[in-house]
Amino acid sequence: MRKELRQWAEILRERALAAGLSFPPVLFEEVGPEEMAMLAAYGGFPRRYPHWRWGSEYLRHRETYRYGLGRIYELVVNTHPVRAYLLKGNTLLAQKLVMAHVFAHADSFQNNLAFKPIPKDMHEEMAHHAAFVEKAMERHGARSVEEFLDLALSLENLIDPHAPYIRRPEKEGPEEAEPPKRLRVRPYLDPYVNPPPEPPKEAEEGGRPEPLPPRPTRDILGFLARYAPLAPWQKGILEIIREESLYYVPQAATKILNEGWATYWHTRLLLPLLSPEEALEFAELQAGLLAPHGFNPYRLGYLLLKEVEERWDKGRFGPEYEALPIGERLTYERPTGLGLKQLFQVRTVHTDLSFLDTFLTPEFALRQRLLNPEDLPRFAEAKKALLFRLTNGGYPIVELVDANYGNRGELLLEHAYEGVELDLKKTQAVLENLHRLWGRPVHLKTSAGGKETLLSAGS
Amino acid sequence: MRPIERDLLRFKEIVRGEVKKKAQEFLTREELFGQVEGRLVSIPLPQLELPKIVYGEPLGEGLGLGGPGTEGLGPAGHVPLAELELEEFLDLMGEALRLPRLRPKGEGEVTEEAFRYTTIARKGPRGLRHVRRTLKESLKRALITGEYRPEEPLLVPEREDLRYKAPRSKPRPHAQAVVLFALDVSGSMREEELRLVKTLSFWITLWIKRHFPRLERRYLLHDAEAWEVSEEEFFRAREGGGTRLSSALLLAEEILKGYPEAFYNRYLYHFSDGENWQGDTPLALEALRRLLPTLALYGYAQVQGPYGQGRFLEDLKEALVKEEGLAATEVRDREDLPLALRRLLGG
Repeated sequence: MRKELRQWAEILRERALAAGLSFPPVLFEEVGPEEMAMLAAYGGFPRRYPHWRWGSEYLRHRETYRYGLGRIYELVVNTHPVRAYLLKGNTLLAQKLVMAHVFAHADSFQNNLAFKPIPKDMHEEMAHHAAFVEKAMERHGARSVEEFLDLALSLENLIDPHAPYIRRPEKEGPEEAEPPKRLRVRPYLDPYVNPPPEPPKEAEEGGRPEPLPPRPTRDILGFLARYAPLAPWQKGILEIIREESLYYVPQAATKILNEGWATYWHTRLLLPLLSPEEALEFAELQAGLLAPHGFNPYRLGYLLLKEVEERWDKGRFGPEYEALPIGERLTYERPTGLGLKQLFQVRTVHTDLSFLDTFLTPEFALRQRLLNPEDLPRFAEAKKALLFRLTNGGYPIVELVDANYGNRGELLLEHAYEGVELDLKKTQAVLENLHRLWGRPVHLKTSAGGKETLLSAGS
Repeated sequence: MRPIERDLLRFKEIVRGEVKKKAQEFLTREELFGQVEGRLVSIPLPQLELPKIVYGEPLGEGLGLGGPGTEGLGPAGHVPLAELELEEFLDLMGEALRLPRLRPKGEGEVTEEAFRYTTIARKGPRGLRHVRRTLKESLKRALITGEYRPEEPLLVPEREDLRYKAPRSKPRPHAQAVVLFALDVSGSMREEELRLVKTLSFWITLWIKRHFPRLERRYLLHDAEAWEVSEEEFFRAREGGGTRLSSALLLAEEILKGYPEAFYNRYLYHFSDGENWQGDTPLALEALRRLLPTLALYGYAQVQGPYGQGRFLEDLKEALVKEEGLAATEVRDREDLPLALRRLLGG
């Protein structure tokens, strides 16, 4: 990296730390547009398992850049140390902005609770996954592995996004025989090192059989990896996809908050450092970043954090404030200077969903012209719709209810219907894929055309 | 090879397979027609998107609050886009539809001289001096005469060391072509039939162009009389009077005089409902007998109009079935397009 950039990285790092951010070491690297397109296609990593969809994404990013329809200024990866890639050929000011932006992202990765259980060595994990899939391809043929990947990838959102955060109490009820000691290994190795226990013989079963799964679960990929009649390499692939999906969950769930946070900090760190010549370019970059076209997470996140800061600086919180009618809230003032402290707290405890739920107020919507005053009565409804889109990454919530449906070894899934129906064509295609993995018929309970409906595949 | 290149290659391979599978469908996709002039063809391939359980209806738009769709939030959500070079795309279509390769016509293949700077000469203009070769000669000379000293490797080229890039003439097969489209507007062509004609002429043009990059296009209309029109005019629906197919053939003969057979591969395509005036058929056949030996192909497509079709196709086949360069077929609807296209290109 250029010496000048390195110096600026150091200056910005010190300023960021002095301002109260805390983060692991950050490695910056300048890359060309093709390499950037590759990294973006690979979700930030230099190596992923072989699959054509990366090629498709790569092509899209490359062409977008080539035709000048957009460029990726920066890519930052949640690992230890944090890796950040800068686009070669950007102006020095753009690189400075991006580096300041990255330090704030790194701070979030380290301090936001959503990232707590996420492994920090995903670089290596991804490379292991790649090696595993490549090996399977060598042994079982590239096409048959690819076909399996296509099936499995269509289930990649059937995970329990909360799984990494849950510690279940040890099994309740009567003591059972001591389970064999499980060695902790990488999940895809698990079936080899810790083979699943023999199923109980029918004669020994006695009493009532344990239902499978014991309680409804959203971790359908995990369930299949344990119980579906598949070869070990196939189960390994399911584990890999599950693990990678889980890795990306907190990133998707904190997009608005994180981009807002990073924008807040690059603005704050950089503004005092601008030379007069740089001021105009900075303004241009900033205007592009915060442009109000479509849904812009940078804009919403940044404006909302500024709002929070102002409110807590001016004491616009607490029961006394909440009790005021909306007109008076806009001018209420009780200086406390708690803004920055509140921001750090928000960055630590919130995801987009709770962040917007807590702080997206009618006052904010009015001030930012997200809303015309006459639309005020519809605010609650609009906010609900927005929050709904952010729930579960915008995906429907689907649970596995019964793996022995009708006592025929069939799978029963249930969609938690909340007023929005599924894309039946795609859902049916997914069920067909699920049927191919499970080997027995598969059903999904949902609501279609206003009636409760059972979609089925394989029966 | 970098892993991403491997993934890209595999994606392109899948796209190629998909294009071949869907070739018949692409044949009538009119949004492609706008892309002919470009170098790249991009086709969205939603069938390649991996299915997921997603919401069907767009989630309610919330006032000015906007809100993300699954795009940008979920881990995927882009429709895969095939982007192919036009030539590659045409070759795939050609393979899938079994379109024949076009060959330059005749035994005495027309050739042209093409100069390529592929040889070296001792004489030449200064601008074409070949520095490496010159220094190499200089080095050889220095080594032979013992002037060369490794510790001070100074080479001074002398006059006889100088080398120049020189052209060599190479005969190349001549690849010029003209295609002439004639359309019978005697009353029975409606939007729907015109669309078939448009589709056919579009692909015919592309396919000829694939083989003869320097292609000229001419268009003419006729009822009882024939007259030349622009490309845009050609595809506008209209009605005319009676039909004399010979009028088009005679005008075509006249126009083609500007494209001597010796230098051009000449293609003539004729679209009609086949309802020719009775007395005219012998005249038309006679004109064709004269024309056929000078053409690369005469393609006659009889389009089924709302009032059925005439018998010119039968007459034509009967009279000229043994002649080379005749490609006659009928087109009733879209289903016939792949076969008609293949036939019209001489396959």
